[in-house]
Amino acid sequence: MSLNHYLVLGAILFTIGIFGIFLNRRNVIIIMMSIELILLAVNINFVAFSRFMGNVDGQIITFFVMTVAAAEAAIGLAILVAFFRNRATIDVEEIDSMKG
Amino acid sequence: MAVEQLDIHLVLMMPEILVAIMAMALLLLSAWTHKGGAGVIHWLTMMTIVAVVLVIQVGSGTATTFGGQFITDDFSRYVKVVMCLGMVLPVLMSADYIRGHGMDGGEYHVVTMFAMLGGMIMASSGGFLILYLGLELMSLSLYVLAAWRRDDRCSSEAGLKYFVLGSVASGLLLYGISMVYGVTGGTGFAEVASFLGKPEGHGSQLLALGVVMILAGMGFKIAAVPFHMWAPDVYQGAPTPVTAFMSVVPKVAAIAALFRILFDVFPTYHVQWVPILQLFAVLSMAVGAFGGLVQTNIKRLLAYSSIGHVGYMLIGLVANSQAGAQGVLVYITIYLFMTVGVFGLIIAFDRQGLGENISDYQGLARKQPVMAFVMAMFMFSMAGIPPLAGFIGKFSIFMAAVKGGFIPLAVVGVLFSAVGAFYYIRVVKVMYFDQPEGEFKVTLSGGGFIVVSLSLFMIFFWGILPGDLLAWTGASVQAFH
Amino acid sequence: MSANLLILLAPLTGALVAGLLGRRIGSGLAIAATITGMLISAWLSIRVFSVVAVGDGPVIREEIFSWIVAGNFNVHFGILIDRITAIMLIVVSGISTLIHIYSIGYMADDPDEPRFFSYLSLFTFAMLALVTSDNFLQLFFGWEGVGLASYLLIGFWYKKESACNAAIKAFLVNRVGDFGFALGIFAIFMVFGTLDYDRVFQMAGAGEFKPTVDFLFFGDVDTITLICLLLFVGAMGKSAQFLLHTWLPDAMEGPTPVSALIHAATMVTAGVFMVCRASPLFELSETALGVVTVVGAVTAVFAASVGLVQNDIKKVIAYSTCSQLGYMFFSAGVSAYAASMFHLMTHAFFKALLFLSAGAVIHAMHHEQDMRRMGGLAKKIPITYGVMMLGTLALTGFPFLAGFYSKDAILESAYAAHTGLGTFAWIMGMLAAVMTTFYSFRLVFMTFHGKPADHHAYSHAHEAPWSMRGPLLVLAVGAVFAGMIGVPLVGEGWFKGAIVLGQGHDALAHAHHVPFWVKWLPFGAFVVGVYLAWLMYVRLPTLPGIVAETFRGTHRFLVNAWYFDRLYDWMFVTMAKKIGEGLWHTGDETIIDGFGVNGAAKMCTRIAGGLRWVQSGYIYHYAFAMIVGVLVLVTVYT
Repeated sequence: MSLNHYLVLGAILFTIGIFGIFLNRRNVIIIMMSIELILLAVNINFVAFSRFMGNVDGQIITFFVMTVAAAEAAIGLAILVAFFRNRATIDVEEIDSMKG
Repeated sequence: MAVEQLDIHLVLMMPEILVAIMAMALLLLSAWTHKGGAGVIHWLTMMTIVAVVLVIQVGSGTATTFGGQFITDDFSRYVKVVMCLGMVLPVLMSADYIRGHGMDGGEYHVVTMFAMLGGMIMASSGGFLILYLGLELMSLSLYVLAAWRRDDRCSSEAGLKYFVLGSVASGLLLYGISMVYGVTGGTGFAEVASFLGKPEGHGSQLLALGVVMILAGMGFKIAAVPFHMWAPDVYQGAPTPVTAFMSVVPKVAAIAALFRILFDVFPTYHVQWVPILQLFAVLSMAVGAFGGLVQTNIKRLLAYSSIGHVGYMLIGLVANSQAGAQGVLVYITIYLFMTVGVFGLIIAFDRQGLGENISDYQGLARKQPVMAFVMAMFMFSMAGIPPLAGFIGKFSIFMAAVKGGFIPLAVVGVLFSAVGAFYYIRVVKVMYFDQPEGEFKVTLSGGGFIVVSLSLFMIFFWGILPGDLLAWTGASVQAFH
Repeated sequence: MSANLLILLAPLTGALVAGLLGRRIGSGLAIAATITGMLISAWLSIRVFSVVAVGDGPVIREEIFSWIVAGNFNVHFGILIDRITAIMLIVVSGISTLIHIYSIGYMADDPDEPRFFSYLSLFTFAMLALVTSDNFLQLFFGWEGVGLASYLLIGFWYKKESACNAAIKAFLVNRVGDFGFALGIFAIFMVFGTLDYDRVFQMAGAGEFKPTVDFLFFGDVDTITLICLLLFVGAMGKSAQFLLHTWLPDAMEGPTPVSALIHAATMVTAGVFMVCRASPLFELSETALGVVTVVGAVTAVFAASVGLVQNDIKKVIAYSTCSQLGYMFFSAGVSAYAASMFHLMTHAFFKALLFLSAGAVIHAMHHEQDMRRMGGLAKKIPITYGVMMLGTLALTGFPFLAGFYSKDAILESAYAAHTGLGTFAWIMGMLAAVMTTFYSFRLVFMTFHGKPADHHAYSHAHEAPWSMRGPLLVLAVGAVFAGMIGVPLVGEGWFKGAIVLGQGHDALAHAHHVPFWVKWLPFGAFVVGVYLAWLMYVRLPTLPGIVAETFRGTHRFLVNAWYFDRLYDWMFVTMAKKIGEGLWHTGDETIIDGFGVNGAAKMCTRIAGGLRWVQSGYIYHYAFAMIVGVLVLVTVYT
């Protein structure tokens, strides 16, 4: 498999992630999963580049990104819990008390 | 990132290390003492920041460590001092807000310090990896801060919105970084720049895509249009001290990082990024000017105002010159004091259980002429009316733009600042010409008084005598070009 | 902080304390604060004067901080104290201190006392900044500062409509002058690339500039002449010279201490000071000097002639000030700058004295200013009478009092200039001297001699309190001795490098060698003036009426001050109103309002509404906007 295959895979995953965010109008959890998908796409890019250039930088970055992603998920879920306790819903369409 | 030998000079990172250690120590302290230690932690935070500013002053010259990943120079030191001010002033003025809204316990201070630490790392970053880590440290802390009032529906909604959109922006940034990495084979700024300096480093589609993505990611952090949509909601929903903090420190950090990226990494790519930033600037000024016209919530109004201010700062970046860079630093320093001052007054209003609706300010001039005068001065300064400092900021930006040959951009900027002046002056009108409603007396807390009077003094002082400010900023942008 | 900087900062601090905290700390403390500031400033001024002017100390130059740095435009805030400045410092801070003290008594019943003292100190600060400046921009800062303070003080009694109108008039007329002045400063920057006195004068002396510049539609004009004339327009406005004089008499609506400080002793002399300061420039242009001479000489006669028939006690003194400023200008015009500065100093003493004694009279008569309703006051207020008499004698040049020395120096210089314009100025000056004596003694006779016109007011007249009498006595001493002490000023080279004279411009040096009759002619003028005044207002009190009746046209012409106010009113106000109305109806209402203002406002609201609609509050809309943004950027910019 060539580098392009990996890059295309990354791009597809990235696009799916992006679409997941604004096409999904029901559940914030799905948004969180989409975000993970975006980060995953980025990781695939980094690893692929790293492998094909024979340069380890990309793999190091991947580890850092994974760590940050874990922290991000934790914080996101914590905020979501706080939100749920206030509103008793995690419906995306209900997150609109501030606008204009 | 080939490390031939260990070049680790921790002494260069003393300010960051100090913040990190103190933040963690205070976290332990707050866990240990429960709520009782909040007062101690408040003052320890203040003292830490003062110490950090002093430590920053010790350094001099330009030096790098961690294989060029971490840079200290005059620019980073200036920016870090601004960030310290941007952190310490909101904390100082909001001690009783924090107590009154059940935000105490000390963790608030700790998380703020972490956010500032992230910003400081961004300002010193010498590579994309460390830039990303600093940015995430700052952003994650900010998401938490925005949602800090757990019982408040607006606050948790603000946190959630900021989190989701911020994560998307980080994703865009990372995707852009991966493209740059793929093309250049490195993530250190120096490596990338030296690759791009070579003849074969040009004309890559992937690299162009990477630059656009990176600019989008950074654009989100400074709330440049079209990545600004989060700002009004988050500014409104977040607790007021957080809004004050958030409207200064992350912007300073992201602008500092943009300086590094644009001037150190992609100077040869300016044909590409100048038009993009120009678009950002015009759109931001437009949205900032028009969006504020119909607002009724003062924090929301200030969100649009900050979007507009970012537009002006971007003009300085577009000018792509030392004068432009200096203009940005002048602008952001003055912006810090104007913003902090206004938020200080908003917090003073909050002490009376009101103050987010512009209509609460009706007839303030009759009841409390001094308060109204101070607010009016901040508004005039934001509108850029001489002899207040806001004018000096706009003036230096526009001068740089004109010198750089971006005359239409400067003209557009002046036009939008005229439109934007309308809503600042509307606040003044409400205070001076509307009938007062309700009996209340707004008082500043001790810290609030210090912060507001300091800010007022600075906007007058720098409005009339900008000499020193211009000299400092001029010296600190010597590092570029 | 240097003591010299404190000279400026002490009054400023006083002004800020009284202005910002006046209501809270009460008027007593506010006044104490301003007077303390003034005392500090005066004491330091005397100290620096004794070093620089009395002793042979070097010129003081201090750079306080850099003010504006923008590209090659670099201005700092600095202090320059040479002998010209030293004299101005003494005059400004000394007289200002006395007037602060005087005002304690004069303003005692006014509820807005702190505000008054705050403005007064603010004025002093601006004036001191003006005279200690070492560059043209700081000069301009002080220039505008004193203008602002003057505006505020003329309109101090803002509930009085006439006071507000006078304040606005003063402001507007000064704007005309200041416009010229600002243009002059721009021209200096354009030609020399700097605004520092030292650099500008040095380059001008060495001839390092373009000899001609293209100015508006005049084509190529001589650079230095253009600069000097523009600067002089500013001086004409501030010093109320012919054509731009109309604001000064109206400015008498302000409280009397203000008239004494600002409109007699200090601010109005700023123009003279500026011309003397810029002598290295003026000396290079015969044309500019000629204009200065003619304007000065005409003003001297014009203002004196109007002063002859005024009935308001303050207006007489106001026109007298105007006329004396004319003297100072034509003296500068014949290159006798030292004589100008000398007269400026003596004039400050005796004119402040006259105004303050007039204030004491007004105070005694319960705010009556019309001299026709006074008379016979000598017996009721003998001290005031005594000091006013001294002031009058000093003004009219009675031998060995202040005016005798300085005015003679001016007239002799004009005569000794031996140029056509110099002789013209000398004749005008002589004529004005006769008139000066006449109206001054007319004032004294009408006020203090004869029979009281208003018996009720007369019987209640009383001497002023000590806070007012003290400054009067001090100024009286000054009016008597300032001339004698100041004679060395007109000696050769006293001002050292501060005043530069061109080749052959040595009128002052020759002034000591004029014929005997030229020296004593001013005294003759004095005798004639006194005799006429005595004849008309003491000996034959019916005579003035008869004279006025006989020369009715002339009398009306003079009473209306040569109809300048009417002329300006017609030329500017009426015409402007007509043009304005025309523009309003067709231009504004239909074109600008219809398409511009209201149209733009509507459009703004519409755009704002659109933005509001976009800002829907939904996360997915926000994310969508971001993605669209990225997509657009990617397609357009890669």
